Amino acid sequence: MRLIECKDLSKSYGSKQALKQVDLTLDAGAPIALVGPNGAGKTTLFSLLCGYITPTTGEVSLLGHKPGDAALLGRVASLPQDATLDPNFDILTQLILFGTLQGFSKKEAKSEALRVLSLVDLAGSASQKPKSLSHGMAKRVAIAQSLIGSPEIVLLDEPTAGLDPANAKKIRELVRELSSKTTFIISSHNLDELEKLCGQVLYLELGQLTQSVSMDDSQQSQYLTLTMQQCDSEKLLNGVMELADISSIEKKQHNEFLIKHNSEEDYAIESALFTLFKQNSWQYKAILKGRTLEDKLFS
Amino acid sequence: MRNMLLLAQFEVKKMLFNPRGVIALAAFSLVWLLILLYPIRGASEFLISPDYKALIEGLFGPEVVSELFKWSVAELAIYWIAALYLFPLFSIFIAADQFSSDKARGTFRFLTLRASRESIFFGRFIGHMTIQTILVSLTVLATIVLAVSREATLLMPAIGSGALVIVNLVIVLLPYTALMAILSLYANSARQATIYAILIWAAMSITIAIINNYLPIISELKWILPGSQISLMINTQGLGSFAYAPVALLQTLVLLLLGRIYIKRSAI
Repeated sequence: MRLIECKDLSKSYGSKQALKQVDLTLDAGAPIALVGPNGAGKTTLFSLLCGYITPTTGEVSLLGHKPGDAALLGRVASLPQDATLDPNFDILTQLILFGTLQGFSKKEAKSEALRVLSLVDLAGSASQKPKSLSHGMAKRVAIAQSLIGSPEIVLLDEPTAGLDPANAKKIRELVRELSSKTTFIISSHNLDELEKLCGQVLYLELGQLTQSVSMDDSQQSQYLTLTMQQCDSEKLLNGVMELADISSIEKKQHNEFLIKHNSEEDYAIESALFTLFKQNSWQYKAILKGRTLEDKLFS
Repeated sequence: MRNMLLLAQFEVKKMLFNPRGVIALAAFSLVWLLILLYPIRGASEFLISPDYKALIEGLFGPEVVSELFKWSVAELAIYWIAALYLFPLFSIFIAADQFSSDKARGTFRFLTLRASRESIFFGRFIGHMTIQTILVSLTVLATIVLAVSREATLLMPAIGSGALVIVNLVIVLLPYTALMAILSLYANSARQATIYAILIWAAMSITIAIINNYLPIISELKWILPGSQISLMINTQGLGSFAYAPVALLQTLVLLLLGRIYIKRSAI
């Protein structure tokens, strides 16, 4: 059974078409990333998958059921963008309600609520009311609620936006840890983060699905992304081109170069590069096998 | 079903155990305390005196208020009139936030992935009806205490007609709460839902009045408006009041069905 299937999916708000004929099939497994500029339709796609809104045309199915179907209750969870908890109750009370709605007994729901709160390091704030939380803490609580009862699909809409680096890292580790049981679909603008985390990247632009990139495609081995600390760009470009088996070298950003080669031998290009650096006393910062996600999507 | 009851229970808890709910309850109790102490206690003394009875009958005609004097407990007779008009008004305010602020805040989005929209809708409705039943029962209880403090032998008749009053009032409140459920689903705040309610009642009353005037044939149209039976219910008592229950029950049924369709289709 497919995890998610969208056929000819469109959504219009008045005259504005937010999503245009999206066809999509996703299978369970490594986290899936959804990227795209502001207003590309990411949140609309998430809302359709969660059943918050209904499509103008086309079909969506999750685990073989339509969004909102009783069979999906408790199996699909989400971190909705900008949704906040009821300010009248403390966090624990609300998470316990969510747990009991998912079928836990009161007692089980309480321990489950405390479990997910400790996953995001907030067990100590369980008795606080939502209004007394900072933006980042509220976001972590919202992530915690999406993990109640270990659902099969978790949709995270910009999970690390607004989090401090330490907590963002913690959330990434959490997603990685849990992704053996749960398939995460993550929308984010942080490409570095998605690159580390996801197996597949979907690129949405102007409401259309324009690209689907797999992180471990075989082409990766033909590329090296080189970041230098300080060097003479011209000299480097010429120096690398003179090495064996180099097809091309391109300057991407400040001190970042993309090298394409056709060497079959492992580490041949790398060692040639190190020799070149030593000869010229150049300091390198990083050598990445393959291309960055940014380069894959925007070149 | 289980989720529906869980949500209803949570709704009652929201009203009774958080500061905002408690303040609303305090205001409600204070208003009723004043009504009980002045009009109800005072007027029931009048109602017992034969001179006053003659005066009222002379004023309104014996047909209009005949039932009023048949109540065995005079306090409950006055309570009945006050409650028939006041509780629907309270209902509009108390039930105005069944969904609106949750929808505006996005809190709803946490619920719909765990409970069906239907169970959320009916759960909230049941919760709000429970709150109102508690309020009605408390005020009836206070009225009974007031009556018994005047005349201890009234205890048994007061309990009997008090119970009937509670059931009748709860039935009267059903369509109000159901309509507020739909309006609060449409509105973005409780205040907006209340304004819509006032607009609907005003516009429909005017329309119905005009229709009654020009097209008396379809004057029965008035029965579609919740509360249209209230003025007629004043002059009923005990089991006789149930004659109007089908109107309210039918309105509730239609409104709940409409609400169910609406919540299933609306974007949240």
